Amino acid sequence: MTHDEFLLQMDEILDLPAGTLRGHERLEELPNWDSTSLITFIALAETNYDVYVSPGQIVTCSTVADLLRLAQSESSSS
Amino acid sequence: MAPEATLQSEVLKALRFPIAVGDILRKRLVLKKELLKQTNLVPTRIAILGGSTTTEVKSMLELFLLAQGIEPAFYESGYNRYAEDVEFENPDLWNFKPNIVFLHTTWHNISEFPELLEAEVEVERRVRREMARFESLWEKIHAELGALIIQNNFDLPRLRPLGNLEASESFGSVNFVLRLNAEFAGYARSHSRFLINDILYLSVQVGQAAWFRNSYWYNFHMALSPTATVSLAHNLAAIVKSVYGKSKKCLVLDLDNTLWGGVIGDDGLHNLILGKDHPVGEAFLDFQRYVKGLKRRGVILAVCSKNDAENAKEGFSHPDSVLKLEDFSAFKANWNPKPETIREIATELNIGLDSIVFIDDNPAERALVAEQLPEVAVPNVGSDVSGFAEVLEHERYFEVDKVVQDDLSRSTYYSSNAQRSTCQARFSNYEEFLASLEMTAEIGAFLPVYLERITQLINKTNQFNLTTRRYTSGEVEAIAQDPAFITLYGRLADKFGDNGLVSVLIGQVSDETIQLDLWLMSCRVLKREMEFAMFDALVERCQARGISKIVGVYIPSKKNSMVAGHYASLGFSPMGGASEGRELWCYHVPPTYSPRTRYIRRTAEALLAAASAESASVPSEV
Repeated sequence: MTHDEFLLQMDEILDLPAGTLRGHERLEELPNWDSTSLITFIALAETNYDVYVSPGQIVTCSTVADLLRLAQSESSSS
Repeated sequence: MAPEATLQSEVLKALRFPIAVGDILRKRLVLKKELLKQTNLVPTRIAILGGSTTTEVKSMLELFLLAQGIEPAFYESGYNRYAEDVEFENPDLWNFKPNIVFLHTTWHNISEFPELLEAEVEVERRVRREMARFESLWEKIHAELGALIIQNNFDLPRLRPLGNLEASESFGSVNFVLRLNAEFAGYARSHSRFLINDILYLSVQVGQAAWFRNSYWYNFHMALSPTATVSLAHNLAAIVKSVYGKSKKCLVLDLDNTLWGGVIGDDGLHNLILGKDHPVGEAFLDFQRYVKGLKRRGVILAVCSKNDAENAKEGFSHPDSVLKLEDFSAFKANWNPKPETIREIATELNIGLDSIVFIDDNPAERALVAEQLPEVAVPNVGSDVSGFAEVLEHERYFEVDKVVQDDLSRSTYYSSNAQRSTCQARFSNYEEFLASLEMTAEIGAFLPVYLERITQLINKTNQFNLTTRRYTSGEVEAIAQDPAFITLYGRLADKFGDNGLVSVLIGQVSDETIQLDLWLMSCRVLKREMEFAMFDALVERCQARGISKIVGVYIPSKKNSMVAGHYASLGFSPMGGASEGRELWCYHVPPTYSPRTRYIRRTAEALLAAASAESASVPSEV
């Protein structure tokens, strides 16, 4: 999955118009970033990257781009 | 028009077979927003009492219910507070007044498993104790909240320390879970307003490894993975849909390469691929058996085929054909566009287009029907017959919360209806036809034996329905026992057969006035003057109870315009107090009344039963 594809998926998860997210956005400032979207992100990481990302790892992420890096790094290390 | 007809097909596609879990999870908020644009949504109140985290369950259930035209409001218990909320009467739950209580428990919530080598008698005691614990919750919910209960049975524990012995030994955990499930099922059979959500089946369907994931359990206390949660919500929504009478009624089938292999018009009867001697023929045979099973439990079958009629009919004389011509309540084989033919079928059977599921192996025909008749469900069954039944199963189109006797005789009714039509054609005068039918009606106050059918009719009748008010079985049961209400059911039979229980009326009494909250009639018996027979019975009861005024309520909907003139035709006068979307009509009960019924004889048994039920329900001071 490319960087842009990932951002489009995150737009959908957070109910934002396609193309809204650029990566630098802070998660804590996104209105729909809640426990449900967190679980959705974990589920999609499993689907897209075949990796399990734990909530503890997600807590260390500050921005949307951090989430992508996390999923990609877990994928390459598995 | 069905609510879903107003939606973009792409929106609903994500929620239909084959379900793409990733798409649903990702598009959840977008889907919800689109689904909420529908009009005519049926509201319901669902309390989810969880033995594990239920946030995801709620979120997914909401989507699948909205896709069925049902808009839920939710109450959610705290994590693993399912028992405490009921035992200690959580005021938030009590004030919520749920229509439905969903108990989302799994094997994690079994409080005690047998010890190794434990004696059978002690295992049995554990089963009894566990049952008693759940039964006390169920009884309290029924008694105090009056809600319908949907209870998960149990999935299987993830680990099997004893290996295969877990299944065979009485102290084995698998054996114990299956015993509890049998007890739950027994309770469901003997109690109305109690339905099982079969998560044991769902877990097998999803696969144990995908059903439960350690990561979600330890991090979130989710007893089901996101994939499993989607499956659970889909199944649960099908149950709720059936409770609200939104399940489909009729399966319309193509013939060539749908019910048999080959083209009967070109290949001839003896070259059709059907039967055990051919691998594909066996798949067609199995699909026919599946369809026959649907017909036996009350699904109406119809044929919509591009064929010469005689050729098409000949196909059912194939020696291996399980389906016979008489299994179909409507048979249309012609060269007209299929959307046109399906419209004719709906008219002939007196059912809405939104009650129909259409199966055709030809993707072009499916696309045409889907485009021109968006109310009709057109599943993408592909062209391989071996997958047709699976698609129908996955979509849960024909889910029922109960099979009642009237379901079993529904096809018989539609078959005898063809005889009625033939008979009618012999008469130039409609009244002579009505007289020739030799109709008899059984009309009386609600009886326990009919409550399931009454609830079913209340929740699925749209056209001849003055108010389209929906009631749960609990509410119907309570009304039946409440002397402040007059209730009537009506059964109609004629010389061609029994039409079953076809009409329901509920009126609320206040002093000398009765207000008719509900009056409906199945479209099976339109223009048979059954509404007159019901009105006669109502007037008799009003006279007996000193009620002088009947107030009729008419709430127009998109589907009930056929009864717009109903009260006027019975001699009611329009009255004040009407509001937008609600008309009130008034009838003053005369001291002497001439029955409206001309062609329906009320049976003596029914009159006696009604009188006895009436005297039992009337307070002594009246």
